[in-house]
Amino acid sequence: MLRRGLRLLSTASHDPYNCLISAVQPPLLVKKSGILAGLKYVAKDNICTTELPTTCGSAILSNYTSPFDATVVSQLEEEGLTLVGKGNLDEFGMGLSTMFSHFGASVNPLFVEKRICGGSSGGSAAAVAGGLADFALGTDTGGSVRQPASYCGIVGFKPSYGRLSRYGVVAYGQGFDCVGILANDVATTKKVFNVLNRHDSKDITSMSETTREKVREASRPITGRKLRIGVPEEFLLSEVHQKTIEQVESILHKLIEQGHTVVATSVPSMGRLLSAYYTLATVEAASNISRFDGIRYGKSTSTTDLSSLISGDALIRKNRSAGLGREVQRRLILGNYTLSAESGDNFYRATKLRGKLVQEFNDILSFPNFLTNLPANEAACDVLIGPSASDKAPLMSEYESEVKRNFLNEYVNDVYTVPASMAGLPAISVPCEDRAYGIQVIGQYGDDSTVLDVAQLIESLNSSI
Amino acid sequence: MIPKKLQNWKPEKGFPFKCGLEIHTQLLTKHKLFSQSVNVPNCAPNANTSFFDLAFPGTFPKLNPEALLLALKAAAALDASISTTSSFDRKHYFYFDQPLGYQITQRFRPLARGGHLQLSKDYDDVLSDKLINIEQLQLEQDTAKLNYDDYDSLVSIDLNRANVPLIELVTKPDFENLLQVRAFIKKYLGLVSHLGICSGDLENGAMRCDVNVSVAGGDRVEVKNLSSTSEVMAAAAYEYKRQVAQLKESIPVEQETRSWTGTKTVRTRSKEDAVDYRYVPDTELPFVHLDPSIADLIRAQLPEFPETVVRRLRNAPYGLEKKYAKFLVESPLHLEYYYKLHSIIVGEHKQPSKVVNNWFVHELLGAFNKLGLSPDFTMLPAEKYAALILLVQNKEVTSTSAKLLLLAMLQPSEEIAEMSVEEMVDHYKLRNAAEAETGDLKTAVEEICKEIIEENQDAVEKIKAGKHLSIKFLVGIAMRTTQGKVDPKLFDETFKNLIYNE
Repeated sequence: MLRRGLRLLSTASHDPYNCLISAVQPPLLVKKSGILAGLKYVAKDNICTTELPTTCGSAILSNYTSPFDATVVSQLEEEGLTLVGKGNLDEFGMGLSTMFSHFGASVNPLFVEKRICGGSSGGSAAAVAGGLADFALGTDTGGSVRQPASYCGIVGFKPSYGRLSRYGVVAYGQGFDCVGILANDVATTKKVFNVLNRHDSKDITSMSETTREKVREASRPITGRKLRIGVPEEFLLSEVHQKTIEQVESILHKLIEQGHTVVATSVPSMGRLLSAYYTLATVEAASNISRFDGIRYGKSTSTTDLSSLISGDALIRKNRSAGLGREVQRRLILGNYTLSAESGDNFYRATKLRGKLVQEFNDILSFPNFLTNLPANEAACDVLIGPSASDKAPLMSEYESEVKRNFLNEYVNDVYTVPASMAGLPAISVPCEDRAYGIQVIGQYGDDSTVLDVAQLIESLNSSI
Repeated sequence: MIPKKLQNWKPEKGFPFKCGLEIHTQLLTKHKLFSQSVNVPNCAPNANTSFFDLAFPGTFPKLNPEALLLALKAAAALDASISTTSSFDRKHYFYFDQPLGYQITQRFRPLARGGHLQLSKDYDDVLSDKLINIEQLQLEQDTAKLNYDDYDSLVSIDLNRANVPLIELVTKPDFENLLQVRAFIKKYLGLVSHLGICSGDLENGAMRCDVNVSVAGGDRVEVKNLSSTSEVMAAAAYEYKRQVAQLKESIPVEQETRSWTGTKTVRTRSKEDAVDYRYVPDTELPFVHLDPSIADLIRAQLPEFPETVVRRLRNAPYGLEKKYAKFLVESPLHLEYYYKLHSIIVGEHKQPSKVVNNWFVHELLGAFNKLGLSPDFTMLPAEKYAALILLVQNKEVTSTSAKLLLLAMLQPSEEIAEMSVEEMVDHYKLRNAAEAETGDLKTAVEEICKEIIEENQDAVEKIKAGKHLSIKFLVGIAMRTTQGKVDPKLFDETFKNLIYNE
């Protein structure tokens, strides 16, 4: 599969990095008014657009065009923005490399040698890093915006769960999925966020107006404040590359020099999160992806065998076996196993751990969590900081052989990004001084503005040298 | 009425019959359960489908509060205990009729649990009173409808039915004989249609039923997807007989799922290859939180139950026969019309109740029936009909004329649309001849009769030869000639006089 992907890359791609699955040809004229005037953007190909197909990087949807636009797309359209194309991704968002796409792998524009651009929003990240777009929309389920942003040397922001509308976003794990923003700088990210940051009645999981109001009232800008920054010790795994630690530490030092306080802290559940995350996310995926049967839309194998129709599932089985890639099938089997009666209470235990994690974050973050409605811990941290990934982007060839040796290697890289996803917290990856490395800022649920402000502060520290 | 076959149906000695029901009924909502598409049966295939009904990616379910309210009414009517927190779950299976790949239902926290329905000897067709307990009541989606065309090797999928709201009622296995099963289904459907929860329209698949049968404490066998009361009866009777026969040969009955072919039940799945539905909470739908007082609030707003209404209709001042009382209760519009008619004729004009009963049940409904129309009471307001009936009661119009006029009023006609009953009577010259001078009438009648006798000599010969009944033939002609304005008795007497006395 990977090999076929690389071949596709050299022949059928719309751009040197194969970061777009489809592109608007010729590019439309740019309207010049409004705060986002003149900006071009790419939407990940699991975000529905009427203008271009929405394939989710999958064979089964390779002929699918949505009859409606996602809310986030309509919101940008209202600002007069131009969609230039649809970003490549790991099929249905299942991956961390954008190697697992029916349309071939995307290449990281940051390097001369062929390195992966991360995933699953790899196409979106590469489009921004490669200069094809001013910003891109991605989706982040367990790190799919932050990790590719880190690998491609750009900013990747996953807002609080429910901040941006998911209407028209093809669900992977609906309890985790967030629309995220990828851009070259925090300023652009903020501008786009301000446009999209609205309640949407079409999305039942959209953050309510009441919660938004409470958050607004509690928010304070960081200018002139001395911040308390926590570094969870669980982030400093032995897997973290020395160079990554150096890059993150350098930023922490500069923050301390500015008078901010950096403290070691702990989120004990973090160590056990990955298995819980994959339990829950694959369960949701197995359920959500059930609808792709090639019957009402999407690719179907033709059949003239009535008995296969009458038996009902034969045609569906054929369509799904042919239309879904291997990694997707693997995760669906995993999810369906957890769902099955024999698997015991894995789902329940994973859900419980999630609750515990939220509590642990509440204990160390000072901003109140308006979902749990417990009193805030004033003495705690404004934000948490850690690496976005263990290292810079691996070489495509290395990555391919590692995953081939053990497919679980594809899963472990989520370890830095999954905690914020599991707790629904806003988190951003900002390039370090060496743009091949990313630093991650995590804030309390709803406190997106502090996360963005701290990210901008870090960005300014990089350029101040 | 109890069919003879069922009246004599009894479990065999030593093989007690145990049975439970799962009844799915479609709710009479304007829109579907989780989308804005309208919920109407009998329209062009796939005409009422939204992006969500078709399971397009990126869409979300949104609970229709109307469906919730109707389900709550059913729960309240059955005295079930309504959950203060209920939620939705996904039940997974792949099939053409299931666009999402799962059905949204309520597995872990159903809307209501418990409750009961009392079958009474007096009201229901059962031989003794029996209380049937309810296990639970839940909201769920209907599936798409599949049409198999063997000839062209085609399966067509009609998604109009997909996402139509259903309530599933699960009873305890309390039924001891088939009469109880039949009475329960009839009573339950009568109740939900009386309350406007469900159309009760079995022809259009408004109900589907699964029946669980076990014999002598053995494993239960479920027969799925029965779409009428008679199918449920036939399947349960067959299944009982099959299990008894098997037990008599000492072959244990296994837990399994069967389906009904129209003549017998056949195995669909054994316990071993039962489908694992992989239930999981649907996190795209918020919990339904209800105030504990909601059951009382809803119960207070429910109309009277059919049984109460029937009891009242059977007693003074209505005095309707049981079957007509039950018939009226099945349609709120019929009942409303009947009450109005009754209040004018009996209440205001002090006529006997049987006049209303006769003119409503036999004449009005009969007339609709004769014209091949389904009753539409807007064609004849109760006030207008009452005026006509009162004219008959006051002997201003013969009942024959009134019946003719009734038929005319039920057929659209510009000529009489704007007329009052009085005007119509005059227009058609139907005012009772009794009002005219008696002497004049007699002469006029004699003249008409003589003319008819002249023209029908062969009939007259027959009558003279002893076929006295043929006189009715002549009366008929006379009535037609006079458009029913004259009392037929008067014609009868005059003919007899003229024929026998000459």
